[in-house]
Amino acid sequence: MLALRNREKIAIEALYDMYSSSLYGVISRIIIDTPTAEDVLQETFVKIWNSFASYSTEKGRLFTWMVNIARNLAIDKIRSKDFKNQNKNQELENNVTFIDEQRNTVYNPELLGIKELVETLKPEQKSILDLVYFKGYTHVEAADELGVPLGTIKTRLRMAIIQLRKHFN
Amino acid sequence: MEDIKAYIESGILELYVLGDITHDEKLQVEAMAAKHPAIKAELDEIERSMEQYAEHNAVEPNEQLRGRILNSLLTNLGDDSTFNKAEDFEDNVIALPASKPTNFYKYAFAACLALLIASGVALMNLYNKLQQSNTQLAVLQADKQHFANRVNFVENELGVLRDTTFRFLKLKATPKAPVGASIMIAWSKEKHKVMVDMANVKMPVNDKEHQYQLWALVGGKPVDLGVFDANPDSTDMKEMKTIAAVKTDAFAVTLEPRGGSVNPTMDQMMVLGKF
Repeated sequence: MLALRNREKIAIEALYDMYSSSLYGVISRIIIDTPTAEDVLQETFVKIWNSFASYSTEKGRLFTWMVNIARNLAIDKIRSKDFKNQNKNQELENNVTFIDEQRNTVYNPELLGIKELVETLKPEQKSILDLVYFKGYTHVEAADELGVPLGTIKTRLRMAIIQLRKHFN
Repeated sequence: MEDIKAYIESGILELYVLGDITHDEKLQVEAMAAKHPAIKAELDEIERSMEQYAEHNAVEPNEQLRGRILNSLLTNLGDDSTFNKAEDFEDNVIALPASKPTNFYKYAFAACLALLIASGVALMNLYNKLQQSNTQLAVLQADKQHFANRVNFVENELGVLRDTTFRFLKLKATPKAPVGASIMIAWSKEKHKVMVDMANVKMPVNDKEHQYQLWALVGGKPVDLGVFDANPDSTDMKEMKTIAAVKTDAFAVTLEPRGGSVNPTMDQMMVLGKF
C-alpha cells in the first residue's frame, strides 16, 4: 500500500497481477467488444494510478474502490456517443479478427466452480446481482428491467449478497 | 442498536458497495460506518463477498495487455528512476496491439487507390502531350509539303527562264485599257507552252464576275489559251493551255465573263502583242 502511494513500479505490477482479471471480468461483461474493453481496463488502471491519493482504507476495501472506477468508466464508455457510432460502423474486415479474438478469450479456470455457486443463488437473486454488478444497471433501472418494485430489488440484492457471504465463508 | 439493525437491513450498505447511491447517501453511510463498528463490519463483509464474487467471475485479459497498460502507467511517471531499467524495454517490445494487421490492408488499399489515381492523371497528361505532338507533326508535314511544292514550282519557273526556246513578248495596252497596262508572256514553239508572268501583269484588278482570257491569233482565228485573274499579289509564272500552232499572228487578252468564252469579245480586248 505504501509502495503504491510512493508510486513504485513494483506496486502497480502487483496491483495489476492481483486485480486485472477480476476488473476485466466486470468490464468485459459490460462491454462486449474486446478492444474497447481492453481500452477501458487501461483507462481504469491509469485512473487508479493517478487518483490513488484520494483512496483511504477507512472508506472501505481497495477492490471496492477499484471496481467502482472500472464500472463507471465502462458505463461512461457504452453511453458515450462515440461508442454508439463506432458500433454502427463496425467494419467487416475488423469483425473477422474480432470474432477470432472472442473465441480466444481466456476463461479463468475457477469459473468452473461458478456453476456450484450459481446453484446456491436463486435465479432472481442472480439476475438482479448480475444486472447491477456486471451490467452496470442502477437498482432503479434494474427494477424497470425486471418489472418489480424498488423495495423488492433492494431485498433481493441483500439476500443475494448474504447468500454469497454464506457460500464464501 | 435496533436502529443499526434496521439500517443494515435497509439494503443501503449493499448499494453503497455497488456504487449505486447518491453522493449524499454515500457520505451518510461513511459517517455511520465510522460511528458504529457493527456497520463497519457489515460493510466489510459485503465488500469481501462481492470481491470474491468478482474473482469467481474473473476473465483473464490478453497477455499483451499487461505490458501495454503497465507501460502507459510508467510512461506517466516521466523521469521516475525506476523507469529506465532494462526490463522495461522488454515490456515495450511485447506491447503490440492485435488489430494492427487489419489496418495494414486498409492503408495498402488506400495507397493503391492513390497510386491508381496518380497514374491516371499522369496518363491523361501524357496522352494530351501526345495529341499535341501529333498535331504539330501534321502541321510540320503540311509545311514541308508546301515548301517542296514551292521549290518544285520555282524550279519550273527557273527552267522557263533558262530555256532558250522560250521567247518573251510584252502585250501592250489597247485604247480600251488604262494607259500603261501590259502583260508579259513567254512562248515556246518547240514545247507548245505559253506562260503568263503574273508578276508583270499590269492590269486593272478584275471583279468576281469577270476574268481575263488569253487568245492566240493563228491564221486570223482566235485560239483559246485559258483564263487568269489579275492579282497584284501573285508572282507566279502561270502556265496556260498548250498551243499546237508553231506560228501565231499575235497574242491578245480580253475581259470575259468568269470561266471564259468560246469566242473573244473583241470590244473588250485590253492588250495585244505581236512578235
